[in-house]
Amino acid sequence: MFGKMMPRMGTPKWGQKPLWGRKPRLKSHYDAVIIGGGLHGLATAYYLAKAHGLTDVAIIEKRYIGFGGAGRNTAIVRANQRTQYNVPLYKEALDLWPVLTRELDFNLMFNNCGNLNLMHSEAAMKAARMTIATAQFHGVESHLIDAKEAKALVPALNISEDITFPIHGAMFHPPGGIVRHDAVVWGLAKGCAKHGVHIHQQTEATAIHTENGKITGVTTSRGKIHTPRVLVTAGGYSAGIIYHMLGIKLPISVLTIQAMVTQPLKPILDHVVSSGAYHCYANQTLKGEIATGAHMDPWPNYTTQNTAHYIKHQAEALSDWLPCLRGVKFMRIWGGLADMTPDMAPIMDGNNLIDGFYMDCGWGYFGFKSCSAVGKYMAAFMASGNCPEMLKPFNLKRYENHALMGETAALVSYTPDN
Amino acid sequence: MALTLTCPVCGKRNGYEFRYGGEDKGPRPAEEGMTPSAWCDYVHMNKCTAGVQKEWWFHRDGCGAWFTTYRDTVANLEVDAPEVTE
Repeated sequence: MFGKMMPRMGTPKWGQKPLWGRKPRLKSHYDAVIIGGGLHGLATAYYLAKAHGLTDVAIIEKRYIGFGGAGRNTAIVRANQRTQYNVPLYKEALDLWPVLTRELDFNLMFNNCGNLNLMHSEAAMKAARMTIATAQFHGVESHLIDAKEAKALVPALNISEDITFPIHGAMFHPPGGIVRHDAVVWGLAKGCAKHGVHIHQQTEATAIHTENGKITGVTTSRGKIHTPRVLVTAGGYSAGIIYHMLGIKLPISVLTIQAMVTQPLKPILDHVVSSGAYHCYANQTLKGEIATGAHMDPWPNYTTQNTAHYIKHQAEALSDWLPCLRGVKFMRIWGGLADMTPDMAPIMDGNNLIDGFYMDCGWGYFGFKSCSAVGKYMAAFMASGNCPEMLKPFNLKRYENHALMGETAALVSYTPDN
Repeated sequence: MALTLTCPVCGKRNGYEFRYGGEDKGPRPAEEGMTPSAWCDYVHMNKCTAGVQKEWWFHRDGCGAWFTTYRDTVANLEVDAPEVTE
């Protein structure tokens, strides 16, 4: 009955062989090299191999897959962003979770419990109406509800007038929710390995080589690889890698973002609830913990440090709008890196500055919810060399052309650009 | 460990009193002969150094001074100016 779990050869000890196979040998040539074994790298490699027949692909990961943002995000997925460029991309990403669950034969634990984005002023309600109109135009379910309706959905909510930011209403987005982020890492890694992708963990890229404006290879801590295509999608480390290895500067600031979970509780919260004014969001995990984030110290920082400043802020904010959590203990706290851009929208570009060089970065705190669709489109981009229509608005030139996207309107930006 | 910064007027203070002002990119480029690409480079582009960088800070909740200092972005600590090697 444990046949599927048993390794075919060697000592039959459960858990010895990872889902993505044993450690592959690092070859001296690959058709494509992906720097960064996070979700964007794994998803791109998966679609390169599965949809485009490009199976000779290496993922180069300095630490281990899922170490960075992939395992540090708070697992929220939604498609109610601000602009007409972003919404279709996130909608497709959201629609892909059930598809990938079947395709990868791996339970990604998609719980479409719905997102409630609290509004604390009439101005915020007005902004929400605009965001909702954009979502509805693109076929994404999103409604404006008042405080009483929000209370009916989430009885724990404090809708009284005597809190710091009284709740006027909310943007309700039923199809969003939570996906188990580790399961996505494991499922995609399994899918990658099944299609022949090599996942090289504990392997650091130390140089990217070019010749006559073309990519020729990557030097790693385990040897040199010749390749005509390189994708840098190393989350918070992308901008530093791209500048220091290729001399291309990006409009990115890397900030530390913090999150935490409380002790496990009985079910009290069956929606993802967020508030821009409190800068705080919360949802209850399947284990019963209230997962909540997300403070950023507003200066560039490559540490994953937590701060007393944030713990205090989180306790004050959370117990204000969810007063039933007063006295509940925080159990675990962590940090991760967010690569923020001035317009809070990512940069996906390539094959123009250097032939065969691609980048997928600047996701800020949106890398998780976008990874499924981005993998699909970045793979199409890398396989053909031509940028798909879906990704064209996210080009790097938009900063020089003063064509910044309006995503900042819907988000909290702590960057020096704000 | 929490960040502290040394204001030229007020001395060593809690990092939360300050606002980060960006990487030090040298003097503002001249208007004459300015191209969109040069302006974009000055306004938006960063080196994102993992290590010691020279950067701008503003003592927002203090004396209001703007100043540059050095900080190790990997340790998140203010450091002495590196020795100049020609």
